[in-house]
Amino acid sequence: MIYNNSKVSLSIFFISLFSILSLSAQTVISGKVSEKNGTPIEGANVYLDGTYDGTATDAQGNFSFETEEKGPQLIKVTFLSFEPYTFFGDVKILNNLKIKLREDVNSLETVVLSAGTLEASDNSKVSVLKPLDVVTTASALGDFVGALQTLPGTTTVAEDGRLFVRGGDASETQIFIDGIRVFTPYTPTTNNAPTRGRYSPFLFDGITFSTGGYSAEFGQALSSVLLLNSIDEPAQEATNIQIMSVGGGFGHTEKWDKSSLSINTSYINLAPYLALFNSRNDFQKPFQTFSGEAVYRQKLKNGLLKVYGAFDTSNFSLTQEDINNPDGTQFSLNNKNFYGNTSYSGVLTNDLKIDVGASYTLATTEIGINNITVDDTENSAHFKIKLKNRFSNRFKLTGGVEQFITDFEEQVSGDFNPQEYGYKNNLTAAFAETDIIFSRNFAIKTGLRVEYSAMFNDITIAPRLSLAYKTGKNSQLSIAYGNFNQQPNAEILKFEQNLRARNTSHYIANYQYTANNRIFRAELYRKDYTNLVTYDTTTASSESNFTNNGDGYAQGLDVFFRDDESIKNLDYWVSYSYLDSERKFQNYPIEATPSFASKHNASVVTKYWVEKWQSQIGASYTYGSGRSYTNPNEPGFLQEQTRAFNSLSLNCAYLITPQKIVYASVNNVLGFNNINGYQYANTPNASGQFNRQALLPATDQFFFVGFFWTISDDGKENQLDNL
Amino acid sequence: MKAIIYITTVLISLTSFAQSPYEKGMTKALGLWSEGNSTEAVQLFERISSAEPEEWLPSFYAAQILTYSSFGEKDKEKVTTTLNKALELMNTAKTNSPEKNAELMVLEAQYYTSWISFDGMTYGMKYAGKVGELYQNALALAPDNPRVVLGKAEWDMGSAEYFGGDVKSYCKDVERAIKLFSTFQPESVLHPSGGLEHAQEVLARSCN
Repeated sequence: MIYNNSKVSLSIFFISLFSILSLSAQTVISGKVSEKNGTPIEGANVYLDGTYDGTATDAQGNFSFETEEKGPQLIKVTFLSFEPYTFFGDVKILNNLKIKLREDVNSLETVVLSAGTLEASDNSKVSVLKPLDVVTTASALGDFVGALQTLPGTTTVAEDGRLFVRGGDASETQIFIDGIRVFTPYTPTTNNAPTRGRYSPFLFDGITFSTGGYSAEFGQALSSVLLLNSIDEPAQEATNIQIMSVGGGFGHTEKWDKSSLSINTSYINLAPYLALFNSRNDFQKPFQTFSGEAVYRQKLKNGLLKVYGAFDTSNFSLTQEDINNPDGTQFSLNNKNFYGNTSYSGVLTNDLKIDVGASYTLATTEIGINNITVDDTENSAHFKIKLKNRFSNRFKLTGGVEQFITDFEEQVSGDFNPQEYGYKNNLTAAFAETDIIFSRNFAIKTGLRVEYSAMFNDITIAPRLSLAYKTGKNSQLSIAYGNFNQQPNAEILKFEQNLRARNTSHYIANYQYTANNRIFRAELYRKDYTNLVTYDTTTASSESNFTNNGDGYAQGLDVFFRDDESIKNLDYWVSYSYLDSERKFQNYPIEATPSFASKHNASVVTKYWVEKWQSQIGASYTYGSGRSYTNPNEPGFLQEQTRAFNSLSLNCAYLITPQKIVYASVNNVLGFNNINGYQYANTPNASGQFNRQALLPATDQFFFVGFFWTISDDGKENQLDNL
Repeated sequence: MKAIIYITTVLISLTSFAQSPYEKGMTKALGLWSEGNSTEAVQLFERISSAEPEEWLPSFYAAQILTYSSFGEKDKEKVTTTLNKALELMNTAKTNSPEKNAELMVLEAQYYTSWISFDGMTYGMKYAGKVGELYQNALALAPDNPRVVLGKAEWDMGSAEYFGGDVKSYCKDVERAIKLFSTFQPESVLHPSGGLEHAQEVLARSCN
């Protein structure tokens, strides 16, 4: 027995020895993975980097695996929506590890600095518009500016068509393409027909519209910036043909391995339209415009180069009713505009990104008013370099410098000695900004912008600050403060250059709730204006005495609600803006509410997809309360108000096949008689009263029908984007 | 009898010894996936991908599993994190693939299709052209790859359904794909070879 036992013991000994020997080649790596607050993480991937050895954590967050690796190794833990964890150490000490993963702040769950910002993009949680909305909103007629006018913070100024933001005039909003300034963004029109954005919406796939408190990267805008990002890579090769009731268009995109070229041309002529429908304008030469655009994109080793060029020319001449002139006012316009923009965006190192760009604008406008001819020539350029360094997901630093150059010349001629005005402007700016994300619940952005104007020999320093705090799973609060400077407009600078930049301060508080394809957003703001330009004549002229002594304020509440969920196939949004604004500028004798700042503005936009008819039917309704005007028959200044503005627009896009689309729209379908303001006679009539005439839109309604045809290899792409 | 067991054991050991760690790891990961352990399979593919920075298959499979798992998911946060991860892995696969690769084009098309099926209003117009072009290019590159033929047919069927076209006219393509599955020779046992069952499902669902 003893012998037997020893034999057994011996075998046990050998077996043990053997297993110890074989075990000695294996090291056990073990530990527990949890969130910062101790909640265990199940399913995290734990492994030794560069080896096959690893495992997933169990429900308690525990892991354990064996490895044959020796010496120091890099252990890595990864899990979706958390930052990867790495630790370098000898395999012998890699046991009983207590690993806490930090949440990845690069996620949709992270709070967004949203005060003042309205976004049209795919991937942001705070995005209020989708890229297609720009072209499918009934009242917009394919114009991105038109679509933005259905958002809160904008004021309806129907005869103008530009963006009027929170009590600011249209020139207080600046437009940028790929971060580079657009100096002349709008096509010129008559003074009773709204203008449109010059650039076709289908070139852009992301739009950010800031109604205040924006980044230090942008300057020379008192109220608002509109940032357009052009498409990096077109989807496919295609040819587009457009036949419209007001003209036609042709476009083509060609793609190569690393590059692509898109061209686009269009010709618009309102003559046939005016022959069919009445216009209040008596056209001698109907409005016509020709435009051509081309974008070339080239992928380089570490970045993307884009070269964009656009040329357009518009002209018309007409006679408009004028209470001071029984024959009416003769008005003619001939405008040529070239815009070129080159930008490069690339990476220098893993964490360092560079953006370089330049734009050049040449705009010539010849305006005839009765017997006077005004010739304007503007040469403008913008150069910019921006560097962005990512120190970590939680800390980023951006800095850059830019230079703006403008040379503006005006010649006025008629039955008098020709007069010349103009100015040269050189502005240098530098900006720096930090983005700090403390956690998914709290983020802060601070910035500083310094500008030097050679014309004024003056330096301005503008600080910016915004922070955001997440109040719940779906809601957040953000606040922003910013100081903004902008030089006076060309209309002033051409007569007087001994001035200073105008200034505003913005204070914004924003609450946002987003869940299940529904967004609710409310924003309170206050703006204080100083250094506004005043003069002492009826209109700005070489005779005026100019000062920077004007000031004013704007305050209000903007509310937005969008719902894409409650009713199948129906998407709608509602915007409301309350605005209280007064200012003393131009030749105002007292502080008053300007005519472009109406108190209440609201929009309702609906889109309904009818599957059976393969059609999208859209409607949008716009309301604007009365606008101020001065009635010289009564005491006071800007003391009266027009009646409210109302307009209901309908549109329908019918897809015959995915490649053939018929589109129709009617603006102001109910035919409201909107009045933009009044023109009073310069001299009183026999009974001592000043006669007046209502300023009416060129047409009360507008009809549009178009046929859009796409030819592409696979027969799927269409031009909904183009509408 | 003993001899047989002995020989078998030796043979098995030999084959397992002949397999490189890469092949062993890949076989294991593919096995995990076929058993339905997608999460573990993705994780193992990721580990292999980090250990073998020259190979495109591990990150390709990881991206494919993630893309498939995103279909039908309704939560925006989940769809976004899953597809962003898939995109990252797909880019690694693209960088590592020695040449233009039809399997990767099909994967990329499926990646965009997933966005479209998640939110057609937002992504439909944006990505539909891209998907069409990817299938077009994949077909030009590998006209007899059954996954290319099947992927394109399914995409065409989906579009026909949406725009009111004739879905059944693409059934012949699905049938062709089924035939191609029986003759298609993958480059190695580790290269993509699946899809037959899915093709039969599509045929049964849409063509009868």
